[in-house]
Amino acid sequence: MNPGDEELVARAQQGDRRAFEELVERHKQKAYYIAFDFSRDREDAKDLSQEAFLKAFTNLKKFDGRSSFYTWFYRILVNLCLDYKRRQKRAPTDTFDETLESHMEPSHEPKKPRSPDQQVLAGQISRKVGEALEALPARQRTAFILKNHQGLSIKEIAELMETAEGTVKVHLHRAVTALRQSLAEFA
Amino acid sequence: MADRDRIPNPCKDLEENLVLLHYGDLAGAEHQTLQDHLASCAGCTGYLKELATLLPLTIKADEPSQTFWHDYSRELRHKIAAVSEKPSWRQRLSSFFQPWPIPALAGAAVITLALAFTFGKGIWQSNDPPKDDAALIEALPVAENLEFFKTMDVLDDLDLLESMGNQGDAA
Repeated sequence: MNPGDEELVARAQQGDRRAFEELVERHKQKAYYIAFDFSRDREDAKDLSQEAFLKAFTNLKKFDGRSSFYTWFYRILVNLCLDYKRRQKRAPTDTFDETLESHMEPSHEPKKPRSPDQQVLAGQISRKVGEALEALPARQRTAFILKNHQGLSIKEIAELMETAEGTVKVHLHRAVTALRQSLAEFA
Repeated sequence: MADRDRIPNPCKDLEENLVLLHYGDLAGAEHQTLQDHLASCAGCTGYLKELATLLPLTIKADEPSQTFWHDYSRELRHKIAAVSEKPSWRQRLSSFFQPWPIPALAGAAVITLALAFTFGKGIWQSNDPPKDDAALIEALPVAENLEFFKTMDVLDDLDLLESMGNQGDAA
């Protein structure tokens, strides 16, 4: 029987590095995808999620178990992603380049061959979506990504963002309204 | 603008719940009330359909290969190993107070001071003469004059010898 996160954390806190590596294996994909939703770049997502694991590892002694490891770790990750966004705003780079367009597919649908017109449209949508997400305030963007992209429950998002569930609902609604206005031409 | 006009207008007070309904986060009485409302409201129904079309477009899919995940784990294992082998600032600070560095540092300090006093003598000496030397400097020209007078005495002696020699020759 596989040990739970709590047991692995306790072992890792005693200096068992393998226990922490097991935690990494459990959470790496989810961590990567959250980082990818924020950064929309594979390399950045890898760096951000790995940095979150390293930060968790070095601060593991401070983890007191008041929240689950999952919540504690994803809070570290989301904060790193928001810092990354802030840094990126200070030094803007060409984030929404052509390579992005090739990835742009509606959620979890099988990839179909596309005509040049469709590819152009997908590129336009990708750029516009990227800009619309960028324009959202950090807390709205966080609530939206964790709900829309990651499918976390409102309760989980509230724990992660250390706020009330009602506040998360308001952030989510505002984010959806803003995106709906920005992307009206594609509706 | 034409596109904007086509956007169905939902009932303002239900918009937040419609978003939650879209995500499956509405339950109980609120869920039932909204479902009843939807049966008779084209605006809210249209809004819900629009969310279902629009929101999935915001997701950018990414499916890294197995190799990527393998490399990811390997790379992270190395980073964790590096971090756990690197001593923390506390460890580094406490190692400073371990028995051996203090005598070593004290020895180094003594050697440095000894070398500094040996080779730095000229560097530290002031160009201003010490007060005791002032009298010597004042006396020096007098001493030099004494030398001069001594030389004069010798010359006088030479004159005397010369005159004595002349007298001898004359005799």
